[in-house]
Amino acid sequence: MTKRTLLPAALLAAGVLVLPPRSDNVAGTVTLHEPASPFIAFDVWVKVGSQNDPEGKEGLAALTANLLSEGATTEDSYDDILAKLYPMAAGYGYNVDKEMTVFRGRVHRNNLEAYYTLFRNALLSPAFSEGDFERVKAQTLNFLERSRRYGRDEELTKELLYSLAYRGTPYEHPEEGYVQSVRSITLDDVKEFYDRFYARNNIVVGLGGGYPEGFVARVRGDFDALPERAIAPVPKSVAAMPDGINVLIVEKQTDATPISLGFPITLVRGHGDFFAMMTANSWFGEHRNSFSRLYQVIRETRGMNYGDYSYIEAFPLGYTTQQPPINIGRRHHLFEIWIRPISLTASGNLHERTLFATRAAWRELKMLIDNGMSEETFEAARQFLRNFSLNYGSTVSRRLAYAIDDAFYGLGGEGFLASIRPGLEALSLGQVNAAIRRHLQYDNMYVVMITADAAQMKRKLIEGVPTPITYAGEQPAELLAEDELIASFPIQVDEDAITIIGIDEVFER
Amino acid sequence: MRRFLPAVFLLLIAAPAALVTQQSEGIFPFDYRLIRLDNGFTAYLIKAGAPGQIAYVSMVRTGSRDEVEEGKSGFAHFFEHMMFRGTDKYPNYDEITSRMGAARNAFTSNDMTVYYLVASNEYLEQIMDLESDRFMNLQYAEPDFRTEAGAVLGEYQQSATTPFGFLNEKVRETAFDRHTYRHTTIGFEADVRAMPDGYQYSKGFHRRFYRPENIVLVLAGDFDYDETERLIRQYYSDWEPGYVPSEIPVEPEQTAPRRRTVEYPGRTLPVLSVNYKGPGWSAADRSAVATQVLGRVAFGSNSDLYKRLVIQDRKVQFLSADFGLSRDAGLLSITTMVINPDEVELVEEEIRRTATRFREELVDGQLLADTKSNIRYGFLMGLETAQSVAFGMIGYVINTGGIEAVNEYYRTLESVTAEDIREAARRYLLDNNKTTVTMVQARERS
Repeated sequence: MTKRTLLPAALLAAGVLVLPPRSDNVAGTVTLHEPASPFIAFDVWVKVGSQNDPEGKEGLAALTANLLSEGATTEDSYDDILAKLYPMAAGYGYNVDKEMTVFRGRVHRNNLEAYYTLFRNALLSPAFSEGDFERVKAQTLNFLERSRRYGRDEELTKELLYSLAYRGTPYEHPEEGYVQSVRSITLDDVKEFYDRFYARNNIVVGLGGGYPEGFVARVRGDFDALPERAIAPVPKSVAAMPDGINVLIVEKQTDATPISLGFPITLVRGHGDFFAMMTANSWFGEHRNSFSRLYQVIRETRGMNYGDYSYIEAFPLGYTTQQPPINIGRRHHLFEIWIRPISLTASGNLHERTLFATRAAWRELKMLIDNGMSEETFEAARQFLRNFSLNYGSTVSRRLAYAIDDAFYGLGGEGFLASIRPGLEALSLGQVNAAIRRHLQYDNMYVVMITADAAQMKRKLIEGVPTPITYAGEQPAELLAEDELIASFPIQVDEDAITIIGIDEVFER
Repeated sequence: MRRFLPAVFLLLIAAPAALVTQQSEGIFPFDYRLIRLDNGFTAYLIKAGAPGQIAYVSMVRTGSRDEVEEGKSGFAHFFEHMMFRGTDKYPNYDEITSRMGAARNAFTSNDMTVYYLVASNEYLEQIMDLESDRFMNLQYAEPDFRTEAGAVLGEYQQSATTPFGFLNEKVRETAFDRHTYRHTTIGFEADVRAMPDGYQYSKGFHRRFYRPENIVLVLAGDFDYDETERLIRQYYSDWEPGYVPSEIPVEPEQTAPRRRTVEYPGRTLPVLSVNYKGPGWSAADRSAVATQVLGRVAFGSNSDLYKRLVIQDRKVQFLSADFGLSRDAGLLSITTMVINPDEVELVEEEIRRTATRFREELVDGQLLADTKSNIRYGFLMGLETAQSVAFGMIGYVINTGGIEAVNEYYRTLESVTAEDIREAARRYLLDNNKTTVTMVQARERS
């Protein structure tokens, strides 16, 4: 399918281009041959995701992949599989997103044969053991009922933002499903789902690193043993632009409140404005980078929380990594602002602090749209991305996953990673500012927060009164003057546009 | 619950130090050069990773272990934050490093504070200038210090309040009486809240610990040895020595089992944490290395106990063993989440029986061989990028001050026998040495 030769980002950086001989050109594969690498990376893409979950069985795609990845095969029990993987210090895992399921693994070349047998059997010869099914289902339910609700609120607000924005579409439910829907999933459901979607015409085999001659054709041949199936495409999920401000408050006993805000955009990789918006977003809220505007205003200058970022592509589990996620291909995205938990770092009222931070972010967004970027900030952001994006493809597994994502987005040529630098070089400030105005706005917003005494928060939102904050130490007059503007930045919310739910109702049905 | 691939933890091996050392018998495939300055500063230059990239990793041999003063828990971590606040020469550290597009960050744990930048090698000198400058000349005003304390409290709120952050705090408090491992790296909440008032203390912290004898630079990547050595001598030679080691209280020997039940103020299945006091880290001591292997063979993902509890009988959601060993004697921990709250005792009994078995019986020869192979390949699998190579050195550098111990560690590992493992079990997996903490869900609040 797609053939990508060696183009590690770092080689581009060094101005070194090594193009190994093109030896594989096998349909239904994406390859990234790096003959000198001692590792072989696998990234098998099944064109199915949570958007394919049947109604009432939300979570089925994830549970199916989970069982394949952590269950027995017709050759080996699951504990035998673990025992065989153990001396290699290798493993394989899965990721299910809205539209994509991938199985990833990596092994040292000394162990390729033994490893590949296990990896292949996991996908092609699953045993569907009842015991394994009960185990992974119980783990999923524990995650849904406890870990997600009582683990990281900041990740939960992000999940809820997507659910709120994509209401009524196949993107609405989280990949792991709802408590009730997962309860209802049976082993027969899993078998049926596998039979329907794990078809040879629905799978792309990704291989990278130092694999031997002939390996690509062999692996593809093995996957071609699967039957062919007619699979109806899922219509694209499109989030509706909210009419004004639409707020979800989750009531929970907590001392700290995370906030997620966002709205739909019509931007995906390959769009003519993508690099312009990547630049604007980087300056505004680059993920976990302290130079960005949101971070500077909320964390660096005011010490209100641990970080503040924005996104033009979905970025699940952002707290675990500084690198962008891989294999989260989606046909539709949100523009999203993530404000990490706000707590009472000085005397005052937590709801007022929370709203102050929200207003600060909102006001910055408005200024970005109204004023655009300056020549100086544009150049700084471009220079940052030009270098920083070299980290995106730091390992063969990541480079391979990007190549798979290129196949998802239908990007030809040298692919996304290699197109970032030329894409940035070609930009002008005018283009970036035009793109900002085309894609961003600040009147309509989905907002999600998790906080104690949600009713009081609701009242504060409706009243729309200023929400000033205090500091532990002296602050310059200039800062205090800006604070007054932030504290009274208008956010108009109608009472009926605010929903409150309890934490134990979250993703229940 | 998106699943990632099993993390493979990386132990590195290297040939003994000389000027430029070729790889010899070991499996470490990279050259390196050791530089030691008169002021005690040490740097290891390792050629590894992709062309054009460098990972510049400064390892401070100070962590929450050094927080000996009452009320100052969490300070090493807080100080790590302050290191990004700039100097007189470069007040805008963030802006400069972001123009480089460097991936940069830092982290703190019991025994260490580690700062890193991953960038294109064209910035090597600029990075060295910046890093040496902030390590020597850090400057920040009190208001900035107070502001940053807010961010640290935010970090506390989003990590220490998770079930395992909460449990970790309780386990340490219960297991230790005097040693600073009694507190977590993020610190006690009251101490975190008092941080804004610790400005003067923070200045002393820098003076005591941020000294050339206490910091090791590991530079991995693509660079020129001679030119890099010249730069190191240029930028780091003026640094005044003066490291004052902390007087870390010695933990008295534990003489009776300890047990505690704690209530987590949220939803969780019961979590059982069984901890034995273990030895400190050592590359040469067969007993210490055997103890690490013991953790894997008895409680790891390929152990009989794991197969029974996790896979076959499905009594627990997970079972994990951390026998990683710290600089000082710390805890050997087994943690498991019990599915049926009525079966916590049954699971605890299974763990107890496993400990007894390993005290009495010799480990299966194949399991021992597979475990050594697992550790070896774990190391090899970690050698992919300049950053992963440098990070693989952290444990050795923090525990010993250099990477030479890597070689020794692997020699010792190869020599570990089934008898050594039984001996380790007899020495450490004892009831009088044990702290058991059960975390349960707090009763429903209205």
